[in-house]
Amino acid sequence: MYSAFNGLIVGIFYALMALGLSLILGLNGVINFAHGTFMALGGYLAFTIEPYVGFWGSLILAPFGAVVLGLLVERILIRPLYGRDPLFSLLLTFGLAMIMEDLIRTIWGSVGQPFALPNYLNTPLSASLFFLTGYRLVLIAITILVTGALFAVLRYTRIGIRIRAGNADLETISAMGVNIFFLRAANFGIGIFLAGLAGILAAGQLGLSPSIGSSLIMPSFVAIIVGGVGSLIGSVLGGLIIGIASGITAAFFPVAQEVVIYVIMAVVLVLRPRGLLGQEGLFE
Amino acid sequence: MSAVLEIDGVHTYYGKSHILHGVSLKVEEGELVALLGRNGAGKTTTMRSVMSLTPPKAGSVKLFGRDLTRASPHKIAVSGVGYVPEGRKIFGHMSVHENLQVPPEISGPWNIETVYELFPRLYERRASKGGRLSGGEQEMLAIARALLLNPKLLILDEPSQGLAPVIVQEVMRTIARMKKEGMSVLLVEQNAMLALQLADRAYVLADGEMVYSGDAATLKADKARMESLAGVSHAA
Repeated sequence: MYSAFNGLIVGIFYALMALGLSLILGLNGVINFAHGTFMALGGYLAFTIEPYVGFWGSLILAPFGAVVLGLLVERILIRPLYGRDPLFSLLLTFGLAMIMEDLIRTIWGSVGQPFALPNYLNTPLSASLFFLTGYRLVLIAITILVTGALFAVLRYTRIGIRIRAGNADLETISAMGVNIFFLRAANFGIGIFLAGLAGILAAGQLGLSPSIGSSLIMPSFVAIIVGGVGSLIGSVLGGLIIGIASGITAAFFPVAQEVVIYVIMAVVLVLRPRGLLGQEGLFE
Repeated sequence: MSAVLEIDGVHTYYGKSHILHGVSLKVEEGELVALLGRNGAGKTTTMRSVMSLTPPKAGSVKLFGRDLTRASPHKIAVSGVGYVPEGRKIFGHMSVHENLQVPPEISGPWNIETVYELFPRLYERRASKGGRLSGGEQEMLAIARALLLNPKLLILDEPSQGLAPVIVQEVMRTIARMKKEGMSVLLVEQNAMLALQLADRAYVLADGEMVYSGDAATLKADKARMESLAGVSHAA
């Protein structure tokens, strides 16, 4: 129970990351290897502004800081690569991830930084539920709220409907009068917002280190594959499943804690190559 | 009369293959123009060149007097072009109602309510997924989606493709009504007889070159020319 819950918390970070990666992969057609460093950036921005705006202020403001940088990157570096082989943007974001990670080291130092939480969030709720801090509840609530809001936007707003239509057929929506340059930028921004938010939430739970993003990005890709490429709900589900599996394994067989993620991916790929909720025919 | 669409000497390529060899075409205001030709003659490529989905390498596309060669497709669409693509390109995983929310709203007589009035069948099926509609319903949805832009020029690429004759007649009546309401129409068809029933003027493409342009009635009456140019029999 305790270890499953620990796994769930880590799974939440995977899920938020995988959700953003999935959005960006779908509409922008970019495998964003820099997603993890945008996450780290969110955490460090929060760390920097927290003394001035408090924990809640940083939770709201820091993701937007990451989004501003994300939009600049999309406009200047990624936009020229749309319509080309996805390998180009993959190499670009891969390089960008390394540059950004080193920039973070230069600005904030290589050693990890503690991220101070308000005391009332850090105390366990009760002795028997010693692993359940107020912060963890806040983390779960925010994730449910943000994920729910995202799905509502995709379902009921025009921009969300256009993002879904564009995932299926970008060319046709542009011929219907939809500005796909704006739509792709907005979609990239939403993805980066989720990464930035995950970064702040993770900072409060795991502490900050320059490599926090790169350690979370591979499992997030695995989450997409397990959940099914093209399915956002699948990405969330995939993230939670591998998080919990890895949490449980950590308690009983700690050395296999990381490998179990890839074992699950292998099993899913063998039994159901499209992933749990993936579209039929994409890879079969 | 002024030209709503003027294509001049357009050359378009798919990768290295040269598809259109200097195609020119004009649609005057209020006119219904048919673009005919065999399968693979370059009709769809001509439409894709106008919409800038496959931008031309040479030549120009003028819409409503403005040079919009190689402009972004969305700019071309919002300038006043309703495009009904070949194969309809409905968003199959989304409901009819969601499909109609994709284009931006441009003020004019057509909005979601009035296209539902035009096609009551779409209103009945508004909650159905686009992929579950029949071919005829999909065609109506594609036309409705194009009308939401309140276009001055309606471009239809093979609207009769794969539809039962009775549905084709319904689609043709809708197109005729749009013309009556003052819209200019460019109708691309493999089924020449069908298109010539409605058209004022016609063009015929063969192997990426314009081989005929003139009065629709004259072309229709000229059996030998119909056979040799469009490769269609009067039986259709």
